[in-house]
Amino acid sequence: MRALLDFLARYHHWFLFVMLEGISLVLLFQFNHFHNSVWLTTANTVVGRLNEWEQQALRYITLGDVNKALVQRNMLLEQNNLVLAEEVAMLTHDSTRAEQLQADRLSGIRLIPARVVTNSVMRRDNLLTINVGEDDGVRPEMGVVSGTGVVGIVYMTAPHYAIVMPLLNSHSNISCRLRGSEYFGSLKWEGHNPLFATLDDIPRHARFKLGDAVETSGFSAVFPPGLFMGKVDKIENSDDGLSYKLRVNLSIDFARLQDVCVVAQEFQTEIHELEQRADSTMTR
Amino acid sequence: MITQFLQRLLWLVVLVAAQMMVFNYIHIMGYATPLPFVYLVLLFPAGTSRWSILLWAFVCGLLCDIASLTLGIGAASLTLVAFVQPVLLKLMLPKDAPENMQPAYSTMGFWSYFNYAAILTALFILCYFALQSFSFNHISDLGIACGSSWLLTFALCLVFESLRGHKNSEPS
Repeated sequence: MRALLDFLARYHHWFLFVMLEGISLVLLFQFNHFHNSVWLTTANTVVGRLNEWEQQALRYITLGDVNKALVQRNMLLEQNNLVLAEEVAMLTHDSTRAEQLQADRLSGIRLIPARVVTNSVMRRDNLLTINVGEDDGVRPEMGVVSGTGVVGIVYMTAPHYAIVMPLLNSHSNISCRLRGSEYFGSLKWEGHNPLFATLDDIPRHARFKLGDAVETSGFSAVFPPGLFMGKVDKIENSDDGLSYKLRVNLSIDFARLQDVCVVAQEFQTEIHELEQRADSTMTR
Repeated sequence: MITQFLQRLLWLVVLVAAQMMVFNYIHIMGYATPLPFVYLVLLFPAGTSRWSILLWAFVCGLLCDIASLTLGIGAASLTLVAFVQPVLLKLMLPKDAPENMQPAYSTMGFWSYFNYAAILTALFILCYFALQSFSFNHISDLGIACGSSWLLTFALCLVFESLRGHKNSEPS
């Protein structure tokens, strides 16, 4: 307190100077029309610019939420797009049918938004961790997608976190097909380059070209059909020469992955248990 | 103390009246306007409390503003000059000068006083005209107005100082 009083006593002329200049300027802007208009114009410009900066900062801060919403929205749009594409292919103008198809496809799918906590792309068997777990309804074998395509499958779960086996894992194997045809194969990552994977077992009589889209086939309870995986980048013969081996340019840049969604399908657990039971019966 | 106060008050009244009745009507070539009321600030001796100089200057500037319908311009400019005056005077005075030395030809020497008055009047005129025009779109006109007004104001301040010095040197 004493130091403050000393400070005020020592520099009182500074405060008086600022105060008197302030009064002068108020008088200047208040009673001179030209100065007043210049002041208002400048003040408006400055305030406008400050508001713009504030809005930009707020927009930047809320980008995470926007991204989450976009991931979910993108997923739904992918589904819608697929339905419409099928509808066009069937050359039918029955809107009731399109709506029915869309409803059928989206019914029973629940999206659980999540954020990637840890990630790797440099290893042979990469894994990533997401910040949702059993308490959020996440179970092993559920699919994980991002706004631009399929990420992988939930491998292990804990109450609040889950480990995902992404496509960039040598054990990953996702059933895919070429969009617009019913030819399917399994998409695997062969290591080395995180931007490319290989789609095997495409029959030799299949008709396709470079740049064709590769999507999930929907032959499992993990992913609904039609989720975009990437585009055909290179066509090769398989080792036995009986089928094609396609190099697929993946739609996801795993190195920059942040927001994802877990796809929880209705009856997925039931289907999974049934499959396991069937497997155990066959091996007996 | 009271005499000093009354002397300052007299100078204030004279300078404001002169500005209001005479100098406000002088606009040579549309540019040069003398503003010699700044002379009041030049009068304050070394050692005067700074808040006192600031208040005198503010009041003087405000009165001239009211008389000239330029509210705020003179007050802001003269307050700035009053803020700088003690610092400048300290630099200009000889080191062995007494604490309450009056700035004048006789005490400081002609050239020191000349520089002291020139700097303070130039600062005042620059600030005054910058605030008055509040724009640098016509900077050449502003420069001419500043230069010519400064010459007139500075000359008048030297005349006032000569008159004051002459009066002080007369045997009483």
